[in-house]
Amino acid sequence: MQKEIELTTPLSEESISQLKVGDVVTITGNIYTGRDAVLPKIVKASQEGTLNDLGIDLQGSVIFHTAVSPAGVGPTSSNKVEIECTFEPLSKAGVKMHLGKGAISKETVKALSEQNAVFAIIPPVTALLGSQTVEREVIAFPELGMEAFNRLKVVKYQAIIAAAKGESIYD
Amino acid sequence: MISIQEKVADCLVRAGSTFREDQKNAYRKAIADETNVQSCWVMQQVLDNAIVAEDRRSPLCDDTGIPHLFLEVGKKRSVTGELLGQIKEGVAMGLRQLPGRPMAIKGDDYARIDQSGGLDEDSGALAPSPILIKPVEEDVLRLTILMLGGGPAIRGITQRVFHKHSVDVVIEEIVNRAKEGVSKLGCSPCVLAVGIGRSQFEATSLMMEAMVYGDFSKQSDFEKRITEKVNEANIGPLGLGGKHSVLATFAKIGPQRASGVRIVALRPCCCFEPRRATIEL
Repeated sequence: MQKEIELTTPLSEESISQLKVGDVVTITGNIYTGRDAVLPKIVKASQEGTLNDLGIDLQGSVIFHTAVSPAGVGPTSSNKVEIECTFEPLSKAGVKMHLGKGAISKETVKALSEQNAVFAIIPPVTALLGSQTVEREVIAFPELGMEAFNRLKVVKYQAIIAAAKGESIYD
Repeated sequence: MISIQEKVADCLVRAGSTFREDQKNAYRKAIADETNVQSCWVMQQVLDNAIVAEDRRSPLCDDTGIPHLFLEVGKKRSVTGELLGQIKEGVAMGLRQLPGRPMAIKGDDYARIDQSGGLDEDSGALAPSPILIKPVEEDVLRLTILMLGGGPAIRGITQRVFHKHSVDVVIEEIVNRAKEGVSKLGCSPCVLAVGIGRSQFEATSLMMEAMVYGDFSKQSDFEKRITEKVNEANIGPLGLGGKHSVLATFAKIGPQRASGVRIVALRPCCCFEPRRATIEL
């Protein structure tokens, strides 16, 4: 098995710049969740400068592409148009890791690299992730139900780096 | 005495939270055989997840799936409207216990299509699929619950194959369809569920039966040939490459039409499927 690189949020520029495609990482600390419905709203709030009003700090953050329901969490496909189009603006706003599944486009891989951000994939291991999630809280847009913007406090979520430094694991 | 509803509820929770032994062994065997380190890591995560889910009786995946019901009925047994009602109540109870992801779409025909009516917050509001009933020789009334997720439903395909009087032609077409489905599925390694019949309904029913009876440790020559050919594509778990894009194929070949066409139903089941459990009522 590969050696794991331990990461703690918020992620520093240095911790991200050392990552390369194929690395297995563990993530500990606070992370955000969002998918199709809410991420475009977060981009809009970022562009309008209202993230602070919503209680969101994206600097060094991780965004996990998942719903949060009584059944738990698990990655949705990150290459859905409404999710993948948020990679670049959210990276510019401070997000350092986008966490989901599926191959993303070459353009997105390049955009991530330009912002020193990465894409990591996480298997859909809901029970395991449930055992590694210690807190969950709705932060914004509660009207979206399980697709609201949530904060999770997690311990050692395991993921694999799929895009970093302009390279993709799917190349 | 345990009620029918309680038996069904427990069966549903097991279906959504438990790997069978043949399933665990298939993963162990694939991990031992795989040379791609990243693919090994993915499969080990899936197996670890199964162990935690079984221990906690919690969902294997946050897409907990739509309950599909398969009822085997012996010659001396009877199915009443009352029994079917009890089964339906048990399904709702099980969905609340698991808990299932609240996925019941509210509203009229149009609202259910465009999802404008919102979701019911009650996990138990999710209606099961129509029940499939099969007469059997055994003196038994046995219910199998399958929890079928959305990803494989997106990638599944039921379509004709012009067989040209050759099994090879049919296998080749299944393999080609499977390669495309598996590569786009995301949550692999897969199990390929296949039904071959005379109509779309019959082929899909046979595919359901294949998922009900399929065993990772018992693979026919037909099933092995499909698995091996798809695995040559080197798609691998989560698309990361490797020898194990598909762990097994579960196929059921029914009666066939006297013509040049075969109807093939194919479902690339995700890494947790077929999520199933069985209970005698």
